[in-house]
Amino acid sequence: MSMLKYVIRRSIEIILILFLIATLTFVLFRLMPSDPAGMILDPHRTPEIVERQRELWGLDRSLAEQYFIFMRNLLRGEFGNSFFYQQDVYDIIKEKLPPTILLFSSINVLSFAIGMQMGRIIAWRRGGKLEYGSTVLGMFAFSMPVFWIGFLVIWVFSFKLGFFPLGGVKTVELWSSTADTSILMKALDILYHMFLPLIVGVIISFPGIMLMMKNVMLETLGEDYIVTARAKGLPEKVIRDHHAARNVMLPMVTVFTLSLVGSLGGSMIVETIFGWPGLGAEFLEAAMNYDYPVAQGAFVIMGALLLVAILVTEILYAYLDPRIRY
Amino acid sequence: MNSNTKKPRTKLQKRKAWIRNTWALFKETKVGLVGIGILVFFMVMALASFIPPLIDDMYNPLYGADPDIITATPPSWKHPLGTDSMGRDLFSQLLEGTKWALIIGVTAAACSVVLSTVVGLLSGYYGGAIDSILQRTAETVMTLPGFPLIVIIGSILRGVNIWNIVVLISVLGWPGPSKVIRSQVLSLRERPFIDSARISGASDARIIFRHIAPNILPLSFLYMTFGVTGAILAEASLSFIGLGDPTTVSWGMMLQWCYRAGFIYRAPFWVIPPGLCITLLALAFYLIGVGTEQIINPRLRKR
Repeated sequence: MSMLKYVIRRSIEIILILFLIATLTFVLFRLMPSDPAGMILDPHRTPEIVERQRELWGLDRSLAEQYFIFMRNLLRGEFGNSFFYQQDVYDIIKEKLPPTILLFSSINVLSFAIGMQMGRIIAWRRGGKLEYGSTVLGMFAFSMPVFWIGFLVIWVFSFKLGFFPLGGVKTVELWSSTADTSILMKALDILYHMFLPLIVGVIISFPGIMLMMKNVMLETLGEDYIVTARAKGLPEKVIRDHHAARNVMLPMVTVFTLSLVGSLGGSMIVETIFGWPGLGAEFLEAAMNYDYPVAQGAFVIMGALLLVAILVTEILYAYLDPRIRY
Repeated sequence: MNSNTKKPRTKLQKRKAWIRNTWALFKETKVGLVGIGILVFFMVMALASFIPPLIDDMYNPLYGADPDIITATPPSWKHPLGTDSMGRDLFSQLLEGTKWALIIGVTAAACSVVLSTVVGLLSGYYGGAIDSILQRTAETVMTLPGFPLIVIIGSILRGVNIWNIVVLISVLGWPGPSKVIRSQVLSLRERPFIDSARISGASDARIIFRHIAPNILPLSFLYMTFGVTGAILAEASLSFIGLGDPTTVSWGMMLQWCYRAGFIYRAPFWVIPPGLCITLLALAFYLIGVGTEQIINPRLRKR
């Protein structure tokens, strides 16, 4: 029962934070030094045209009224029209969201799985060559700028060796309506396109989790119950996997939620350089081109995506670890 | 380890002994020493950044251009790391970038860690309403999508200058460390020496800053080193996506210029050095942090 209560409490908190993000978005875009009406109209406009555009966008109303309308529209999923595509922002988001969710969640799940395993093993064999090597490599990978390693990987594997496509999410010929492609082939095709971005994302994200896992594990190994387990003569593997690693899960939840937040920026850049048609790349492009409706919508949706991911993680762990009573 | 057998008398002697002990512990972890080694190397590079423009105007990292060169050229005697597509010398750009990376990284991390230390101290010492307000704020800032937020602000400001970036990085970076510092303060607050200070009539401010803060500073320093790593990487990413300060030559900016000019897959001599420098400098601070961590947290030390 307490579990249900916890989920409800966290959901309310998350809705509040989302509300805050939406408000922040509203405030930020009202702080713009220039008049948005001046942005898309041609420079030879007359004041009357500007006035009509402002009326059309509701910019002549009071700030409170604007805020109310903004919030109401958000709740209805209306984000307005893109300045450049002449297309509803909602449709753009709907189209770009699935690739982002696919890449972002694959990167995080894989990084977490690899990071936890590696961290557990190197903490156990501390002082060995394996620990030294993977720690140094991990720290190096942790310090790399994501776009730089991304370019190097594309340069080597796509340009020089030609193993992988330069970008995109699917091979057009395979997906045309005339081509008779099985679902499996389509899935493999996406996987083939996703391979490099996924690898780069994981290279950037997993070392942080691995190093953290190592530290937490080392602290746990000093606990009395580990000594007890040893004294009982339990096999090393049982001590490592059943006594130490399980208790490490708890502090790792926090690490994972933090790394989710951190990897969002990284995955946006990964999407951009690999031409992955996701929300992150779209957001970066919109922000750079001052396409504010798109940037605004994408920002709110990414904030929501992040918060939902955090909530799911927390619930999952509460479920996995019966000791957690929130 | 050279433990001091004689009891130090004066404050100065005590301090010297403390430094000696700390250094001995730090030396034990090889990683910390490697970090300092890399850092010293980059500091020399940063100090050398003013030399190239003195030799010849064409070595100016931002405005200089070799008149004989019309496109990106590989390393030569005249240009040890080659030139960019406008004929600017890449080596002097690299030196200039070192200077800015150090300035931005250290200032952003310092601002952020001062903020987290003050918040952690207040939150842990006073508890109650102050604590809940500060902690809820910290949790909220932690779950905000930080990087997209910076991108939006940068886009609204129509490009940002270096100091805006520093402020943004520090405003978004304080919550994590402040939580750890708070928990440390919570335990320190209950120690007997705080009670004795209070009985001797010390004010809250004196207890916080004279008695608790000195015990927190090593932890703050630790988070500062990790913060520098984060700040250097954040600045590089922002500059790379085109939100950097175009009047400042930073490593991220160099890669952005390379990308814009369309040389990213054609000129490895242009791509590799800035990225490698970002990695190594970020790594250096991270290593120093790991070395410090092993002093602060004895459980991580080798048995």
